[in-house]
Amino acid sequence: MINSDLQALITTLQMAGLTTIILLIIGTPLAWYLAKMTSRFKVVIEAIVALPLVLPPTVLGFYLLIAFSPEHLPGQLWQQATGQQLAFSFSAIVIGSVLYSLPFVVQPLQKAFEQLGDSLLEAGALLGAGPIDRFFSIVFPLTKASFITAASLGFAHTVGEFGVILMIGGNIPGETRVLSIALFDHVEAFDYARAHVLSISLLIGSMLLLAAIYWLNLPKRNLKNKVMRKNSMEHHAND
Amino acid sequence: MTKLPISKTHQAATQLDIDVSISFQQFDLTIKQAIPLKGITGIFGHSASGKSTLLRAIAGLEKSLAGHIKLGDKYLAHSKENLCLKPEERNVGLVFQNSRLFNHLTVLGNLEYATKRCQNRQLNLNEVIELTELSELLAHQVSELSGGQQQRVALARAILAEPKLLLLDEPLSALDRQSKSALLKMMLNVQQKLKLPMLYVSHSLDELQQVCDNLLVMSKGEVVSFGNIHKVIHKLNSIDDSEIIHQQTSLSLPIKGFNNGHDLTTLSLNAEQDIYLICDQAFQHQTQLRCFILASDISISLTEPSDSSIVNHLLGTIRQMNHQKHNVLLTVNCGSQDFYVTISAFSQKRLSLSPRQQVYLQFKAGAVRTFIH
Repeated sequence: MINSDLQALITTLQMAGLTTIILLIIGTPLAWYLAKMTSRFKVVIEAIVALPLVLPPTVLGFYLLIAFSPEHLPGQLWQQATGQQLAFSFSAIVIGSVLYSLPFVVQPLQKAFEQLGDSLLEAGALLGAGPIDRFFSIVFPLTKASFITAASLGFAHTVGEFGVILMIGGNIPGETRVLSIALFDHVEAFDYARAHVLSISLLIGSMLLLAAIYWLNLPKRNLKNKVMRKNSMEHHAND
Repeated sequence: MTKLPISKTHQAATQLDIDVSISFQQFDLTIKQAIPLKGITGIFGHSASGKSTLLRAIAGLEKSLAGHIKLGDKYLAHSKENLCLKPEERNVGLVFQNSRLFNHLTVLGNLEYATKRCQNRQLNLNEVIELTELSELLAHQVSELSGGQQQRVALARAILAEPKLLLLDEPLSALDRQSKSALLKMMLNVQQKLKLPMLYVSHSLDELQQVCDNLLVMSKGEVVSFGNIHKVIHKLNSIDDSEIIHQQTSLSLPIKGFNNGHDLTTLSLNAEQDIYLICDQAFQHQTQLRCFILASDISISLTEPSDSSIVNHLLGTIRQMNHQKHNVLLTVNCGSQDFYVTISAFSQKRLSLSPRQQVYLQFKAGAVRTFIH
């Protein structure tokens, strides 16, 4: 049934899309805060953010499963607020993905903000721009490439997620059954033909996405270099 | 319902009151000074004298200060009342040493960044573009510009935010001599046309001497001297520490004529005495000229030199003699103007010079220095 695979693809895209949006909303201020932070606790927060890079996904999934269960406070609060159980729901896998993909969004943004420094922001402030204005008129345009990288990495990493979802989402079609889980199902059922179709699609999709990131980031830089080279040549000619 | 005035009159602040102390790397910066905001006020000092920190404090970029800063009748910072306006609320402009232009915008984009955020706009964008000679560069990316062009954009951008006070932090230090001179002239022109008071920080007295009305001298986080630029420079001469400045006579004299036949310009020192210097086309548009003569460029003669190639010789009276580490500093009065001359102790003894003695000062036309061409 190709239909169930299509459903898994839709669930995957929904989960990854929503996760990426949430990650950008949470990750941007967090990355900003970390970039500007000078306190000793900076390394502690950085370590927590980077934890999903080294932690086995099943460990994160296990603790989330416990936290999301109706017996524990986060799960209870969720149930009181929404009337639904959190574990084994679409919301659960989105929350899990946000935590799991956090470093992929925060780290490139933090690095970009650190590199940008304060000098242009000071210049902007002295021209009358407030903090929000400065972010959208100076920071964002100058770090756009890093935002594209961060969003793409967050999205791609979420699409490829398996362990966390298996632990907290289970395998509910239309709710938590994503592509990676569907693939695992096919292999377990010895349906290698469908496993091949899914694998090759994921492989090509990921390749295309990465190629798109590099394409979005690279050409402009080349163009600018060309212009600068042309200009410096003209300057030399004038000299 | 009260009627709102149609347009608020743009009232320029007349005074900047500073009474601050800031903990600084090796020493504390302690400044208590009222600065009248007229023309361009120079702030001079060597690196790490605290002059840039002072500018940053006025701009609101240096937050940890004790005391107060008051621009006109508005407090920018007052630590006792826990008041510290953000830079964007101060109405103070700052041109940095490195232009700090926005690379993602064109030249025009950078200028419009300022105009869009300016409340109560009164300046005409095109007028400022013309003043700063940017009309041909508007569509360029800022990364394509030379250092001098970038600083012109930075100056125009700061002006277009229509600040009440413009701060300039070593704006010329990264430029070559020719661009320096051009930008300096432009700053003076902008100041005179727009009546925008400026505080200009530099470690180059030559630059400051050409454009400033008043001068504030800082050393190790404290004010050494403040007042009329010529007076302050002359006061610094007698401090036996030629580390601070090159001892010199700083002058602002009316132009009397252009003797174009022999390429010299005549400045009128007083009713009887003139000073000659090398002619420059740029002088023709001026009536007054700022210039300086280094104390080491003037020599003393007891009789009027009549067979010398040196064109300037002025009769004066020795008013004061200061023996310094390596030489003797003479203060020689010609009419109402004091000239500062350094000679070796050997020469002083040989000519047996003494106060109240009449002597001739000699210096070449080329020793009368100007910076703006």
